[in-house]
Amino acid sequence: MRRQVPLALCFVFGVVMVLIEFSPHPYSKFLYNEVINWSLIITPFALVLGVATLVQTHWIRIRRRAEYWQYSFVVFIGMIVMVTIGIPFGPSHKAFAWLFKYIQTPMDATMFSLLAFFIASASYRAFRARTLEATLLLVAALIVMIGNAPIGDLIWNKIMPFGENLPSTARQWILENPNLSSRRGVILGVSLGVISQSIRIILGIERSYLGGGD
Amino acid sequence: MKPKSACLLGLILFFTCKIITLAQLSEFSSEEFRATDEITAGKPPAPPTNIKATDKKNDDGTHITISWTKSADDGNGANNVTSYNILRKSPESNFETITKTLIKTGKTDYTDDTVKRDKTYSYLVQAVTASGTTSNSEVTGAEATASWFHTGKKWLFLSVVLFSVVVIYSIYHARSGKNIFIRRIPGLEAVDEAIGRATEMGRSILYILGLGSVSNVATIASMNILSQVARRTADYETALRVPCNDPIVMNVVREMVKTAYLEGGHPDAYQEQDIFFLTESQFAYAAGVDGIMLREKPAAVFLQGTFFAESLILAETGNSVGAIQIAGTDKEHQLPFFIAACDYTLIGEELYAASAYLSREPMLLGSLKGQDYGKLMIFAAIVVGVILELIGVNWVTTFFDKVSN
Amino acid sequence: MLKQIMQIDRRIIFILVALAVIIPTLLKVSFPITISEPTRKLYDYIEDLPSGSTVLIAFDYGPSSMAELQPMGTAFLRHCFQKKIRVIGMTLVTEGATLGYETMQEAAKTTGAIDGVDYVYLGFRPGTIQVMLGMGTTINNIFESDYKEKPLAEIPMMEGIKNYDQIDLILDLASSSTTEAWITYINTRYNQKIAAGVTGVIISQMYPYLQTEQLIGLMSGLLGAAEYETLIETPAKATKRMSVQSFVHLLVFGLVILGNVAFFIQKRENENV
Repeated sequence: MRRQVPLALCFVFGVVMVLIEFSPHPYSKFLYNEVINWSLIITPFALVLGVATLVQTHWIRIRRRAEYWQYSFVVFIGMIVMVTIGIPFGPSHKAFAWLFKYIQTPMDATMFSLLAFFIASASYRAFRARTLEATLLLVAALIVMIGNAPIGDLIWNKIMPFGENLPSTARQWILENPNLSSRRGVILGVSLGVISQSIRIILGIERSYLGGGD
Repeated sequence: MKPKSACLLGLILFFTCKIITLAQLSEFSSEEFRATDEITAGKPPAPPTNIKATDKKNDDGTHITISWTKSADDGNGANNVTSYNILRKSPESNFETITKTLIKTGKTDYTDDTVKRDKTYSYLVQAVTASGTTSNSEVTGAEATASWFHTGKKWLFLSVVLFSVVVIYSIYHARSGKNIFIRRIPGLEAVDEAIGRATEMGRSILYILGLGSVSNVATIASMNILSQVARRTADYETALRVPCNDPIVMNVVREMVKTAYLEGGHPDAYQEQDIFFLTESQFAYAAGVDGIMLREKPAAVFLQGTFFAESLILAETGNSVGAIQIAGTDKEHQLPFFIAACDYTLIGEELYAASAYLSREPMLLGSLKGQDYGKLMIFAAIVVGVILELIGVNWVTTFFDKVSN
Repeated sequence: MLKQIMQIDRRIIFILVALAVIIPTLLKVSFPITISEPTRKLYDYIEDLPSGSTVLIAFDYGPSSMAELQPMGTAFLRHCFQKKIRVIGMTLVTEGATLGYETMQEAAKTTGAIDGVDYVYLGFRPGTIQVMLGMGTTINNIFESDYKEKPLAEIPMMEGIKNYDQIDLILDLASSSTTEAWITYINTRYNQKIAAGVTGVIISQMYPYLQTEQLIGLMSGLLGAAEYETLIETPAKATKRMSVQSFVHLLVFGLVILGNVAFFIQKRENENV
């Protein structure tokens, strides 16, 4: 019974939502809007669940004096400060905006900027012309990379008497032709995979997401 | 001035003002704002003909399209028609103007989107001249009805039905127990190797489900792989750590892993606190996971699910701690990063096939076969389309154009 | 020596990258910018829109990718405001709420656009796909008030704007899969015109949609933002940052070539042995 009810709900809603896509009738529109409204109501509950789990996880860490348990206090301090300012005054309040702009923004930006360093080290290590395929990948990557920065065109136009702006033109060609066609192949495969997976879920064949078992 | 003369002057002034005001009014109102049949100054133009009102197909019953043939004086004849106006009569009211601004000449249709379902309306079209003179067409009527099925989507519907039937047939055909061939997927073959390595080294396994929510198909596929991984870690009693980005995913995963350990006969080995919620923020999550990798130095890292810009930050850190890494995502733009930094990468649909591949359950394998039939159909359509287009026959492209519109 | 080059410590690479970022920032070098077709298409589309049209801009990114996406938003908004095109701003990402508000305020200040008349900022609502779909029925149903909690019914600009039918274009500034969701759910279902500005990491993913015209234009990473700034003849942040991008790309280019040269020499030496 614990499994049957969610499986039945999944089947009914799955089939109904597919059929609604093909019916412009007001009744199906109504049903569709209702489902959207339900989902909108359910979504914020996930937030509550998230906060509850976070508090629970870090509380246990502190209580058990797990490794680096002191950092869990930082989580609580951050959470309390943001909530105390955010809930009564709203996100457009100066204090909230200040915390966002001068604390969260630089921290997020720092993590993102790590990408520049990691891309450099990963491409240096992995981009080796070991095979024909790897060579093709390497050449394409170099052209896109140099075409993606204005300096590529500048150097080319200075030293080459022909093919004005060739690096950026070649980059565009690679993106619009080999990249596009291979990507479309992957998209078709992935889309069929998604449909097939969805059918398995709707029919209740794939049910491990319900927590495993029967 | 005598009172009598003053009165006379006053009267003259009053009427002069009145006449000027009226003249101004008629000048402004004719073109832009007022278009009613009250204005009758000048010779009336030829009326629009062939007026038709048709209920718009494939809608929710709130549109009626009115079409007409332009007045003989629109561009020809007296050539004095400057615009058109639509009047509607509903069951509750008389004829009234429904166009907010006049319809310019050259246009011969108008869609009324203010009708109510299952009601009959009558329409007439007025030809309007620059001086505001109008002449009415004949009256026509239509009932606004709603459609249950969008006929424009019939080919899409048929494709969905056809593909679903093929997949369902393949699934149930597989139940007969026939052996289904499935090509080797090196990334999945390496799962046992990775778990074995972690067990030998006495280190943990880190399983990262990516940033997807529970409604994301890639996340569900990743959870299915995790379920298989958990069955094996339960057997070997290897520590399995799962930092989650979504609280709902975390709860589902806890339940799944617990069941896997229970079924494997090792319920005591299950550690609930090893499956935990980290944060919903993308880069804070990346920072948290990187921290875990650097502190715990896991022997194997699984990166399966939906990944964005954080993919390389995670994979490169995993690489730096010397972990064996098996990645997989349906976000094809992240594949180059995984290929560069991980040992094995599941490409696109291989992620969805993983659950069937690892469990070898006939019904799941059957769906993969159905999927391949679908791919074959698309492949055939592309090849036939290209060949026909090359020899100048374009009905396949015309057909697909119609389907997409 | 060759082995050392082949297995260079990643920290040395990190230092070189840091230098390639810092030096051009201090030198303030500038480069001529070539306009790509996808950026020009977006610019032309806005150029051809009559004044009084309405566009919706979704700031679907967080602080991490603001360096790339914020300049796009500013340039695009400036163009719209100069052309007297009305703009509705919103976000599907929690962290995007403040960033979108700031960007709109900044662009409005420089062009004299008025809040509530020339632009409206709606802010954030949770439930990505549900929000997109819900706005197809009525915007008011999802956002009953703007970011400053003023009811939409009291905002003059929103008069007559009910749903996507009254919106001429949606521009999604994205660092994740929101553009695909806008295409899948809103372009397909409501036939709504969509354009995008995305981070460099996901550019290649967008090209299939450009070819099928599901995307009418695309700004690709920081370069796309610099191109748009060039088109509206207002060079700003993105144009300045092009020098940094140029030098880092050049560095990675050089490193890959160096690695491969060392790889080939070693391979030949091994073959000879």
